[in-house]
Amino acid sequence: MPLFSRPASAARRGAAEATSAPAGRRLRRTGAVAAAAAVVLALSACGGGAAPQSADGKVELRFSWWGGDKRAQLTQAAIAAFEAENPNIKIKPEFGDWSGYWDKLATQVAANDAPDIIQMDEKYITEYSSRGALLDLSKYDIDTSKLNEAALNAGKNEDGLTGIPAGINAATILANPAVFKAAGVELPDDSTWTWQDFERISAEVTAKSPKGTYGAAAYGTDEASLGVWLRQNGKSLYTSDGKLGFEPGDIAEWWAFLKELSEKKAVPSASEVVEAEAAPLDQSGLATGKNGLAFWWSNQLPALEKAAGGELQILRFPSKTGTSADAKLWYKASQFWSASSRTKHPEETAKFINFLANNTKAGETLLADRGVYPNSEVRAAIAAKLTPADIKVVKFIDQIKDELGEAPAPPPKGAGAIAEIVKRYTSEVLFNRLSTEEAGKKAVDEMKSAIS
Amino acid sequence: MSAISELSSISRRKGPATPEEKRANRRDNKAAYIFLLPWLIGLVAITVGPMIMSLYLSFTDYNLLQPPEWVGLDNFTRMLGDARLHNSLRVTFTYVLVGVPLQLAVALLIALVLDKGLRGLPFYRSIFYLPSLLGGSVAVAILWKQIFGTSGLVNQVLAMFGITGPGWISDPSTSLGSIILLHVWTFGSPMIIFLAGLRQIPNMYYEAAEVDGATTLQKFWRITLPMLSPIIFFNLVLQIIGSFQSFTQAFIVSGGNGGPSDSTMFFTLYLYQKGFGQFDMGYASAMAWFLLVIIGAFTAINFIASKYWVFYDD
Repeated sequence: MPLFSRPASAARRGAAEATSAPAGRRLRRTGAVAAAAAVVLALSACGGGAAPQSADGKVELRFSWWGGDKRAQLTQAAIAAFEAENPNIKIKPEFGDWSGYWDKLATQVAANDAPDIIQMDEKYITEYSSRGALLDLSKYDIDTSKLNEAALNAGKNEDGLTGIPAGINAATILANPAVFKAAGVELPDDSTWTWQDFERISAEVTAKSPKGTYGAAAYGTDEASLGVWLRQNGKSLYTSDGKLGFEPGDIAEWWAFLKELSEKKAVPSASEVVEAEAAPLDQSGLATGKNGLAFWWSNQLPALEKAAGGELQILRFPSKTGTSADAKLWYKASQFWSASSRTKHPEETAKFINFLANNTKAGETLLADRGVYPNSEVRAAIAAKLTPADIKVVKFIDQIKDELGEAPAPPPKGAGAIAEIVKRYTSEVLFNRLSTEEAGKKAVDEMKSAIS
Repeated sequence: MSAISELSSISRRKGPATPEEKRANRRDNKAAYIFLLPWLIGLVAITVGPMIMSLYLSFTDYNLLQPPEWVGLDNFTRMLGDARLHNSLRVTFTYVLVGVPLQLAVALLIALVLDKGLRGLPFYRSIFYLPSLLGGSVAVAILWKQIFGTSGLVNQVLAMFGITGPGWISDPSTSLGSIILLHVWTFGSPMIIFLAGLRQIPNMYYEAAEVDGATTLQKFWRITLPMLSPIIFFNLVLQIIGSFQSFTQAFIVSGGNGGPSDSTMFFTLYLYQKGFGQFDMGYASAMAWFLLVIIGAFTAINFIASKYWVFYDD
């Protein structure tokens, strides 16, 4: 365009006069073309991806997982150990954040470009299995005899064994003792505390802390803490036939208590809660010393301790009655190792998954980052190698062994959308845009249609 | 532009073509197509192909993992009853109808100031253009999040005056406003185009007006605006189309979920969530075509309305 290249100076107007008449027309034409081009561009989507390659007789497998830096380092070390034993197999890692992981995986699967080995979550395993995207691993050479039975069962469904558990964890509340110490408040006794204690203690910490520090993080940003609450009230997130296991009134009660916590300033303000949702693990309120208590999975403690730069303590959830058996915790398969049903090298893929699940060398590198090792032999063999943070996690998992509730029903197809619904209505409630009853009704409606 | 006018004078040359000329023309055409080929392949493979595919998918139930199933107009009728989709339309229309005029007004204002012949004009021009280069980027959206956070820069400044600001981005009543502000801030590219347009208004009109004793406001109203109207129109069309499709800012600022409480759930963001988050690619494709219709309608209205307010000086 000459419009831009004309030198700026006093002479410009004279020059402009000569060309200004057709300029309008030209611009109009340009406008129309640009408009058409923009309309076309509005719809252009991504193209296809590259197919997995193998070079000079070597088999190359793609392995994708979600997680932070620490996990990436540990997993790369495990890959190196596997490649040293199997010089003919090369593992190509692909990793990223939880939030982008699922969008990417869905796209890759649709484009027939799925990674061979997929780190899978219980929320999505039914979705992918029932649609034939995952390999039935029971048909391949993977030793499952030493794996924890409950965790192994979580990977079984109508379509076979589509996930091998990568670790065991439990829903917990993590405490930052430094925050409690600064406030001059004692840490709670997690074997006897109730939700009322949780509220009282959190409010007290907030009151005795500098502005911006709160006794507890808010729950309601995913469905895990809702699951615990429902179990303690005799309900569940899902039923075994794949329906919702609760009524609008149940979730409304859960939000009513959250509002109470918020009014007593036991948890941060609505705006701060929304901001905290988006923060990655190492900038979370617990890690930065802005929250005394927060809701996390047990396997996340080591990474959080690293980010916090100090010790954290692991606590049971409060219960309604003050007895730890009524906390109704359960062992969750933290993640699964799954394989794409379209992998060109199922044998090699199974070999790698077998290595991750059963080989001591894999255990020595992965440690407890994905939860406590489901393989009892590996768990024993690596005990001496564990860091103090890992040991805390293993101890906790051991400690609650006799107080666990029933294993929850597996999340049905569509369960991946539930967390987002919970989160959205939690902010509707916290910002007083909907009453807890209205939010309960709307949320349950949406959830029902998501998993139907 | 001189190359183009030469080209057009060639094409305008009329008269009976000799067989030799015809042959030469064909040869020229062949050469032209060969030169066009790389672009043509790109257009077909990454634009037209997927477009046709998405048109087909919009009539199917397609979950990404299994082959699509034909469902006719189901996706479109479902859109009628989808409250979240209606909300996303409201958010998007607010963004376009508030953001675009505001951005163009700011762009025109700055262009008028810069057109007054400031010393060091290229420098200022670059400075004001900078946000446009950065504004759509992920980095700036993240920065925006920091600036407008509960304890961000804006609230720190407000605190100096004893005002406790809200969490601009995390409060549903102000979050969309914050994103509109981010959009207005990227006024650089319409500003550059305005600036170029202002330069093309012949000075003699202003001189004549001055002789007649016109005020600055009158000159702006009666000379600048009409003479600039084709360029305002151009900017308007471009910005409206671009704004309907805007995605990155809302995606980054809201952490990908259009929150809080769907207050920044743009149409495109909802489309993305439906397609890639909820395995509902058929529905997402139907949404994409609906958006095309909306953009097409707005552009058509724009072109029709332009007859009444755009002034061509020829």
